[in-house]
Amino acid sequence: MNTPQTLSRPLAARVQALTDPAAYGDAPPVPQAVLDAAASALEAGHTHYTDRPGIEPLREKAVGWLGARYGIELDAGQVTITCGATEARFVTLKQLAAGKSVLAPGQHERIAQAAALIGAPIVQTISDPAAVSILYLTPDDDPTLVTPLLGLVQVHDWWVIYDTAVPGERLAHPALDAQLAPRVISIGSYSHRLPGWRIGWMAGSSAANKLRAYKQSMTICTTSIAQWAALGLEAEA
Amino acid sequence: MTANPNIPEEVRAVAADGTKLRYALMELAAQYPDAIALGRGDPDMATPAHIREAVLRSIRDGQTAPTPMAGMPALRDAIAAKFRRENALPVGGENILVTTGGQEGLFLIMQALLDPGDEVLVPDPRYTSYDEAIASAGGKFVLVPTEHDDAFNLRPEAVEAAITSRTKALLIVTPSNPTGGIVTEDRLRAIADIAIRHNLIVISDEIYEKFLYDGWKHFSIGSLPGMAERTITLNGFSKTYAMTGFRVGFLSAPVNLIQAMTKVKAATTGPTATISQWAGLAALTGSQEPLHEFQRIYNERRTLMLTGLPQMGLNFSDPRGAFFFWTNSSAIGIHATELSYLLLKEGRVLIFPGTAFGEQWGGYLRISILQSTDLLQEALTRMQPILDQYRAQTR
Repeated sequence: MNTPQTLSRPLAARVQALTDPAAYGDAPPVPQAVLDAAASALEAGHTHYTDRPGIEPLREKAVGWLGARYGIELDAGQVTITCGATEARFVTLKQLAAGKSVLAPGQHERIAQAAALIGAPIVQTISDPAAVSILYLTPDDDPTLVTPLLGLVQVHDWWVIYDTAVPGERLAHPALDAQLAPRVISIGSYSHRLPGWRIGWMAGSSAANKLRAYKQSMTICTTSIAQWAALGLEAEA
Repeated sequence: MTANPNIPEEVRAVAADGTKLRYALMELAAQYPDAIALGRGDPDMATPAHIREAVLRSIRDGQTAPTPMAGMPALRDAIAAKFRRENALPVGGENILVTTGGQEGLFLIMQALLDPGDEVLVPDPRYTSYDEAIASAGGKFVLVPTEHDDAFNLRPEAVEAAITSRTKALLIVTPSNPTGGIVTEDRLRAIADIAIRHNLIVISDEIYEKFLYDGWKHFSIGSLPGMAERTITLNGFSKTYAMTGFRVGFLSAPVNLIQAMTKVKAATTGPTATISQWAGLAALTGSQEPLHEFQRIYNERRTLMLTGLPQMGLNFSDPRGAFFFWTNSSAIGIHATELSYLLLKEGRVLIFPGTAFGEQWGGYLRISILQSTDLLQEALTRMQPILDQYRAQTR
């Protein structure tokens, strides 16, 4: 049998910018509480679409974690459960880049492919603030580099992504500044404990509804059983 | 007919956006605990036990690590075997991509296929998520009309008339959401000739292939000569096996497109959840008896509605597949968006207006059969006096 190898028309130009995906590593053992939570959810029939934002108890957990870890207050209504932090990063870049650059003074490997797909250059230093739309930060970033940049956020209508899925404790959460908070999107993930389950989240900002709607257009909702299982992880913690 | 300004602001504000309109009505319906939902296309059946057991087994065995980006090799091979066996598609595992539901499949296809300004022909009416996927890639959707008197079959001459120098792809949805119509084999053969002549890519959404009635048979355009290198066949597990929450679908395509979509997937969502892929593998390779039971039940419900809807003045074409009745409600004399709202508010029955599937369909309702026969009968009983009342008022 001759299987089809090449499409009869050229592919989109944007895919030329992408590299082959790296392989994932092994997963840690599944905690008993996760197994129990998944079993209960399967038994209860939670195998259909969830609400578009994700199950409320898991969104509450994300809000609680942000409060305990960083001292910021959000409502569960501002959280959307995503297919890993990968989806949250892409959704945020796609919806907020607006054809401009992403300024990333520290780590930026996790957004490199998403930025390439949408054609948003990543810059590490700033030459023209008006050419930037998003400031991408992680907890590992150097505060001495970031603090002056935060002063430009409101002046130039930037959005700020704070990617908590990246380990680190150097940089405080930018949403602690109440004036910046409406422009800050927090991203998080359960992948360090449950890597194949594809559970992440995005939270906060005045763009929360817009981001949620776009996530819905991509994948409708996130795997239901995985959401309930992640609650088990929270219970164990 | 125009939309009545008396409908609530949260519905009126999104009335021009099909997807937002559907969600607004679902959120409104959630306020009525006794509402009968005949809106969303989420099967009300329980996911078959052997699928749930396979998922639990995979977790117990610690088989939850991320899979390769394109999907678990065993699942890709099983999907390819299904496509060869049931759809006569000449594909191997290398032609398969496992997706996070059919909706992601659409998204990936458009991202990997379309450059800004490329046009995709889309049958009208349609599930408006197609519009969003196309627009997200900078493409433009061009509507191809289908008609009530033609059972909403796709006409080759209408397809050809819509082709321009920017047309890159044609979307086929068979059976159709929302109409329940199918594209018959004779039409598919004629459309394939057009696709080859104009060098078009065909995106064939066959998500509802297992739900056909009155002896109609499914046919895949990708099986025709000259089509393998220009066809993307989209399918999934959600509707077939009542497992929408697992978010797992699949598609076949030429290898270079699969590789491109795999890169896009890595950049946008990552691999499909591993437990969902185990669920999909169990669905494909396990007993098909639950599916046969679903088919029997849907047929029974459809028979009920075939009688009940005309009795209240709602007529329809020939619903040959899927879960839906695409009913002409223009005789009631009220715009479908308002009528949907009234049926929900006064009758506690959630039905999507035709405008949720294209703005020109203000004289149609999409009614799903995804409730038990008892609840469907109750819904008909609730709808009757409301329709009678408004029909009398507008006479």
